[in-house]
Amino acid sequence: MDKLGSVMVIGGGVAGVQASLDLADSNFKVYLVDSLPSIGGTMAQLDKTFPTNDCAMCILAPKLVAAGRHQNISLLTNANLKHVEGKAGHFKATLTRRSRRVDEDKCTGCGVCAQKCPVEALDKFNEGLSKGGAVYVRYPQAVPLIYIINKEKCLGCGICEEVCKAGAIRYDQKDEELQLDVGSIILATGFDEFDPSLKTEYGYGRHLNVVSSIEFERLLSASGPHAGLVLRPSDGDIPRKIAFIQCVGSRDATCGTDYCSSVCCMYATKEAVIAKEHMNQIEPTIFLMDVRAYGKDFDKYIERAENEYGVRFVRCRVSSIEEVPETRNLKIKYEPEDGKLIQEEFNLVVLTVGIKPSESNKELAEKLGVELDKFGFFKTQTFTPISTSKPGIFVCGVASSPKDIPETVTQASAASTGVGELLASARGTLVKKKEYPKERDVRGQPPRIGVFICHCGINIGGVIDVPSVVEYAQTLPNVVHACDNLYTCSSDTQEIVKNRIQEYGLNRVIVASCSPRTHEPLFQETIKEAGLNRYLFEMANIRDQCSWVHMHDHKAATEKAKDLMRMAVAKAREIEPLERVALGVTRRGLVIGGGLAGITAALALAKQGFEVDLIEKNKELGGFLRKIHYTLENDDTQEYLRAMIDNVYSNELIKVFLNSKVENVSGYVGNFKTTVTLDSGSEVKRELEHGIIIVATGGEEYHPNEYLYGKDHRVLTQLELENRITVAADEKFGNVVMIQCVGSRNDEHPYCSRMCCGEAVKNSLKVKEKDPEANVYVLFRDIRTYGIMEEDYKRAREAGVIFIRYEEENKPKLAKIKSEGKEDLQVSVFEPIIQEDIIIDADLLVLSAAVIPPQENGTLAKMLKVPLNEDGFFLEAHAKLRPVDFATEGIFVCGMAHSPKPIEESISQAKAAVSRACTLLTKDTIEAEGIIATVNPNRCTACELCMLVCAYNAIEIEETKRGKVAKVNSALCKGCGACAATCRCSAIDLKGFTDMQMNLIINTLR
Amino acid sequence: MHNVENSIREAAKKLLSEKKVDLIVGYERGTLPLRTTPCFVDKAEDVRKLVWNENCDANLSKYLLSRKENVGVVAKGCDARSIAVCIFEKQIDKEKVVIIGAPCLGLIDKKKVKAKLDGRELLEATIEDEQIRLKGEGFELVFPKKDFICNSCLTCRHRNPPIYDVFTGEKVSEAEVDEFGEIADLEAKPAKERWEHFKEELDKCIRCYACREVCPLCYCKTCFVDQTMPIWFGKTNDLSDTMIYHLVRAFHVAGRCVDCGACSRACPMNINLREVVKKTEKIMKERYDYTAGLSLEKIPPLGEFKIDDSQEFIK
Amino acid sequence: MKPAEKEWTPKILAFLCNWCSYAGADLAGISRMQYPPNIRVVRVPCSGRVNPYFIIKALQRGWDGVLVSGCHPGDCHYISGNLVARRRFAVLKDLLEYLGIESGRLNFSWVSAAEGEKFATVVKEVVEKVKALGPAERLVKR
Repeated sequence: MDKLGSVMVIGGGVAGVQASLDLADSNFKVYLVDSLPSIGGTMAQLDKTFPTNDCAMCILAPKLVAAGRHQNISLLTNANLKHVEGKAGHFKATLTRRSRRVDEDKCTGCGVCAQKCPVEALDKFNEGLSKGGAVYVRYPQAVPLIYIINKEKCLGCGICEEVCKAGAIRYDQKDEELQLDVGSIILATGFDEFDPSLKTEYGYGRHLNVVSSIEFERLLSASGPHAGLVLRPSDGDIPRKIAFIQCVGSRDATCGTDYCSSVCCMYATKEAVIAKEHMNQIEPTIFLMDVRAYGKDFDKYIERAENEYGVRFVRCRVSSIEEVPETRNLKIKYEPEDGKLIQEEFNLVVLTVGIKPSESNKELAEKLGVELDKFGFFKTQTFTPISTSKPGIFVCGVASSPKDIPETVTQASAASTGVGELLASARGTLVKKKEYPKERDVRGQPPRIGVFICHCGINIGGVIDVPSVVEYAQTLPNVVHACDNLYTCSSDTQEIVKNRIQEYGLNRVIVASCSPRTHEPLFQETIKEAGLNRYLFEMANIRDQCSWVHMHDHKAATEKAKDLMRMAVAKAREIEPLERVALGVTRRGLVIGGGLAGITAALALAKQGFEVDLIEKNKELGGFLRKIHYTLENDDTQEYLRAMIDNVYSNELIKVFLNSKVENVSGYVGNFKTTVTLDSGSEVKRELEHGIIIVATGGEEYHPNEYLYGKDHRVLTQLELENRITVAADEKFGNVVMIQCVGSRNDEHPYCSRMCCGEAVKNSLKVKEKDPEANVYVLFRDIRTYGIMEEDYKRAREAGVIFIRYEEENKPKLAKIKSEGKEDLQVSVFEPIIQEDIIIDADLLVLSAAVIPPQENGTLAKMLKVPLNEDGFFLEAHAKLRPVDFATEGIFVCGMAHSPKPIEESISQAKAAVSRACTLLTKDTIEAEGIIATVNPNRCTACELCMLVCAYNAIEIEETKRGKVAKVNSALCKGCGACAATCRCSAIDLKGFTDMQMNLIINTLR
Repeated sequence: MHNVENSIREAAKKLLSEKKVDLIVGYERGTLPLRTTPCFVDKAEDVRKLVWNENCDANLSKYLLSRKENVGVVAKGCDARSIAVCIFEKQIDKEKVVIIGAPCLGLIDKKKVKAKLDGRELLEATIEDEQIRLKGEGFELVFPKKDFICNSCLTCRHRNPPIYDVFTGEKVSEAEVDEFGEIADLEAKPAKERWEHFKEELDKCIRCYACREVCPLCYCKTCFVDQTMPIWFGKTNDLSDTMIYHLVRAFHVAGRCVDCGACSRACPMNINLREVVKKTEKIMKERYDYTAGLSLEKIPPLGEFKIDDSQEFIK
Repeated sequence: MKPAEKEWTPKILAFLCNWCSYAGADLAGISRMQYPPNIRVVRVPCSGRVNPYFIIKALQRGWDGVLVSGCHPGDCHYISGNLVARRRFAVLKDLLEYLGIESGRLNFSWVSAAEGEKFATVVKEVVEKVKALGPAERLVKR
């Protein structure tokens, strides 16, 4: 059976969207299915994201819009999977698309229906905190921007039908069934929030001022119910004291959720910080068990929250919450570590709800024939973190276990690689390339401008005197045609635009309507179909930024529309066709680093048919993983590694360079040249050419200076203990003391090494398994067994491993005590619960040593012109949504080169890097941006200031006959214009937003 | 002073005879009293021409721009700093220039001298023991030298070149001065009065561009006021155009200006141009703790950023 | 009414970055937040694109006020365009004010794609400020 080059992605949250974009960008046909009427998932509901406090909508919206308009992506919203048959390579899926009662092809998203709807329904998106009509979109920037009628709330009054000038309302619309043939399926179903009313002791639902953290998130949002003001539900007062209660539905066997939700410590801290930023009088307190800030730069965030924002962290479980009837304040009873019961009053309580497997998982698992784990997440394995139990069906994001946004996005890309490996032979078979007529050459011709002014039903026409604007436009220079339309975006008007272009010989087109952010691509497409370069287009935003915001001042709005018209014409007279330069791609990859991440990446590229050069500095492959012998699930890592290395050597597409290092890198995306030095007795140099680079330089174990390490044979690192456990047959371990955070979370390495808590739990269990009489003590600051690992932590405790917390200021102390002619190791640690030092005689002292970045990272970063973070790990382009990309295109990062992480996360990242790389390698040519900077060599003095402000390393200095001048690399330039605005000589300009155009716009003032 | 002059000559001689440089750019005696002119020496025997005194006021870094040969240059603190800026901006090739640094105790401001002469012609001037003796037909005047020191030198904190290849003479102590004191009064005035002040001052401008021509940092191939396509600002004597010319020039030297004072000295209309550019120095110091021309590696403020830069003016 | 008696209403030129502030302005519209009609928006890719010339020219041309708005620090679609711009604007604003230009004519803000309300508030405040200052005179070329 032939494989199909198409994929069904189930779930339109950030995971589904990322997977779809990666697949679509590497030539697969994608059906993105969402059961909700719009994509965006949970992230669209967030206000800001940790640890950067980025605005969630600002960073997510461009991805949603890209998915919405991608030629290779079909959005199937308001749809559910009914039935699936077939197997990897060819599945037959049946979907039900529920009726919206709105015609998707006709609805323009103008929103008049919702404005006029008399029904007030609770707004689900705002978590029930504000009200809206029965015809609605989930959020203002919804993709697709198509309204939907809530059948339960609709009165059938007919008003919306009456006001909809597009005629899109269809009360009689029926559900429909749809058949899809796809080669593979990705599950990105996300999660449900834990229902806090199940924890009755917290009084959610009974006490008005107890809210869930998701409700609180909406309260914080500028687009939320009080526009960002934090007001408590009972009386609309500003709550001064806010308590966050952590682990509501996490780490809790009583609710069957004895896993850690992984994100709550951070997001609660974020909410506390933002609340404080919004209203300084707020005093947030977070009640928690451990501070699980295990991610990249997370500890720094916690520290800032504590020290700069005054967020109070209290370690305890809260036993009860009582409402004070008069004030509706809440009395919290809790027992801090020292055991003294405290009662404290708060004005608002936020229950930090955990992540629950999506309700739909069970049904989906049954229909698809895939396994769930005991909690109801889709089951995966350590070495195959994106594969379900059924071949051809992949899973990513929180659908398989709790995780944060970067890991979710990473897994989404990784799942796309899973599909790529499976369907490589069918890639490109189901995507269509659109053909356009040859572009008319308009250079040198005087501008002939056509103006199309939209009524947008009554959205514009109801406020602005559109005919007078048309009349005015006709008087403006170079305007040869101006007319008005009821809906300029409707498909029949598109035909009119095309006809007018021919009829009047238009060579510039202006549409005065809504926002270019949503509609420019549509109109650009239209003029392209009429033979005009897409950049010969300009928009005047007379709706979102005029008629909608001056609804009661028709005269001023009309005057403003005329001014905007004049500004658009001024610019249009100067716009020129722009070219998107096509750059060739060397379809070959370079992977730097031959550890787990590097090997995984090399194999994933090779499986998709690309040649790879794999560079390793040591004499053998394997890196850090060589020192890890088993996992928490008891997988044999060395066997896995051996198999992977065998695969590498037997794959003829992969060329391995051992004892090698990168000496020089030149070129740019699609066309890199790298010099590699091989040190095999004598030095040999090799020149390699490739289109992409994956950085997988890994991490190293810190060599502790603490606790007599290296001076006493009984002091080991965690990795050394692991080796000892593996080789020793039946050793008696005696008293084993493990100290966590040795070399981590201190001044020298102020980050969490992420994997050590898991390692310690793993090795304690192994010691107990080998020698049940052994006593194991783990001295820790926070136990960060996030996600499903929490279960192993519990398992260790049940096995008798003793966990004792210590404070950073009060680290465990080691002493050598002489007794009976030998020296005993004695560890003393202050126990916070009994408030006393305890002393343990240690037969083995095991240090959980930090993971540190290799020293060579600095040199390599300079060669690649990519940044490192303060800790010396490579710094990705964006902590949330571009976790494996660099700002410099064509270069990617994965594994511990990015930050310390366990095996499955390294594998996911490596596959994600490959997915991102494949969006380039699968193309014959890469199309550069049309809007890019350009240099006037007659003015340039080569002072290099532009190079300093360019975030993309897109400018270099070139030696020409006339001396040195700056040169813009069109493959790297993103068109921000920072260089143009910085150049004192005006030697750089930005196409599409030129100095000339800006000057003319400014001059339009009357 | 003589000691410095001799050691400049020795250094120049050594550089030329050892063929380390092809040319020395320095100062020679001018034809008028209290004057020196830039001079170019390419033979070791000619180094006698080189002088060093309080009248070596030209900023010689201007002569180094896009030179092809190897050059040794005599530089005061301010000169060396503007050379450093130009090296960072790749307008001067570090490999091709040898900075002969000389300590400077302040230049004589000819405009201040002129003011004391009441239109009489100066025929001879001597400086001795911190006194300046001015002679002409029928008059001889003696003043303390400090009365004639350039304003830019009065606030100088880098009398010793911070960057040099050869240092001549002995380092002098740096003065503890209020760098930005001279604009403090103006800054304290209400906006309207500042506006009136600058209006009056800059209205004198005849757009001769002498300030631009002497400025070591004005090396654009086409100055923004001379550009077309688009014409951003006019070249007329209209007050708005003139104000904008000086405003933009100040903006363009922000984070680069070393306050050598060349613009003020060059202005034929006696406009205190330093008053405009001094502000940029202050902004750079106060906002970004940056002083121009002290390093060859440090990125100037407008070429970089910090995530927590001041932003009190942004809502 | 004779033209001379016509009530003066300020005209304000706003440069908004495409990804955050322009989106925020759109959201203000989508949410039907009402603000004074005195503002004319120029869309630019990034606040980093805004050359000081744009601002100075606008003041010379007679715009009564200028607003430049971009993404909050950290949110820039182009990584750091707003941060480079922030320094540029700081210097320009300090200099213009030093010359005696009324500070209320030069306005800068960070408005995110989710801050429709903030955008409307910013516009209201800017218009109020400029109204209080009266028509632009200094630096205007007649």
